[in-house]
Amino acid sequence: MRTEHIKYSLMDYITDHLDEYDRDQVRLHLQQCSECQNHYNELIAAYDALRHTQKVLPSPAYYSTILPRVQERLMGHRDSLWSDRKITSRLILPFAVSALLLILLIRTPSDFSSGHEQTDALFQAVKDYSADEVVQAVSNEYAGSSVLSNQEVVSEGIAEHLQGDHFIREALMKQIESDEIVDMDIEGVLSGLNREQAEQLLSGLTGREML
Amino acid sequence: MSVSNDLELVESFQKGNEASFNELVRRYQEKVYWIAHRFVNDHDQADDIVQEVFLKVYRALNDFRGDSGVYTWLYRITVNVSLNTIRKQRIKDFLRIDELFDYPSEESERPDKQYEQREQKQLIEEAIQRLPEKQKAVFILRYYEELPYEDISKILKTTIGGLKANYFHAVKKIGEFVNRAHRAH
Ligand SMILES: [Zn+2]
Repeated sequence: MRTEHIKYSLMDYITDHLDEYDRDQVRLHLQQCSECQNHYNELIAAYDALRHTQKVLPSPAYYSTILPRVQERLMGHRDSLWSDRKITSRLILPFAVSALLLILLIRTPSDFSSGHEQTDALFQAVKDYSADEVVQAVSNEYAGSSVLSNQEVVSEGIAEHLQGDHFIREALMKQIESDEIVDMDIEGVLSGLNREQAEQLLSGLTGREML
Repeated sequence: MSVSNDLELVESFQKGNEASFNELVRRYQEKVYWIAHRFVNDHDQADDIVQEVFLKVYRALNDFRGDSGVYTWLYRITVNVSLNTIRKQRIKDFLRIDELFDYPSEESERPDKQYEQREQKQLIEEAIQRLPEKQKAVFILRYYEELPYEDISKILKTTIGGLKANYFHAVKKIGEFVNRAHRAH
């Protein structure tokens, strides 16, 4: 096993989640590699600290309240939303597409010609919201318009907006394909927005109705 | 065993048996609550997440095709809803921080004092809260939930190699954060 593999197995070694063979490998490696020994010592210290955390249990009755409340909310929304259910789930799909629409909303047209830096920051600002949040925020803005009714239409519209902007385009396609969870530095991203833009983002997201 | 049972529940729901959904809720509510709670470290927020997760599950259940396990699908929804809750909170915090700059309060001038009053437990919680999202998700699912990497890989759509690296860096960061806090006084 390479050092990388050993190093990344150390926590499983410490918490006893390795099979016998891997455990021996790690143990033998630790005897001869000071670098991994250092990692090991650090992880052990962290592990000791971690054991101080214990669960704070909710009241015993709590779990029995979950289902009734879920059902109540389902009943409340069923009448108004049930018939739209199919459409809604289709709307959830083009997540990144919708994220981009939101970007279009918070930028003025002139921003499109500005440098990649801002484009980048704005894209970052919205690309990690959940599909329903972004879609809802966007569809509130576009209420009555048919722009969101069909993923292809949206994609085409965006492609038009994005002529020449390869970065967003690539990131967008990648995200559509992988639907992965990406780390983001929200504070860093938001510091690239002015307060008005940030508030606009927030109100778009919190003002939404439950899908 | 429980995997095929879950799938049977889903299929039964898809045939119109609403009670199957109730059974799914009962089966997973505790797990969902705990994952959510690890993410937000707050009962009320965790409760909101639980509600939202099951509402989403209900609405998506008819489209579930069984290409992933029911529980990895459900956990994935939980992780996503949790992360979105955190993101929204951070935007709110950000806007509030902005206000603090305009009207500095006494509290914001001496953050070090607060450290002294913190117990180890709170320190750890804070260290976890400060992890980057992906590392946090991996850490919670691996360390607390003890899920196999194969399952986490499906939930987070990440390679196993990547997960192991995330896990390693997460624990390292927790250790470093606690160390720094201790050295601070
Ligand atoms: Zn080594």
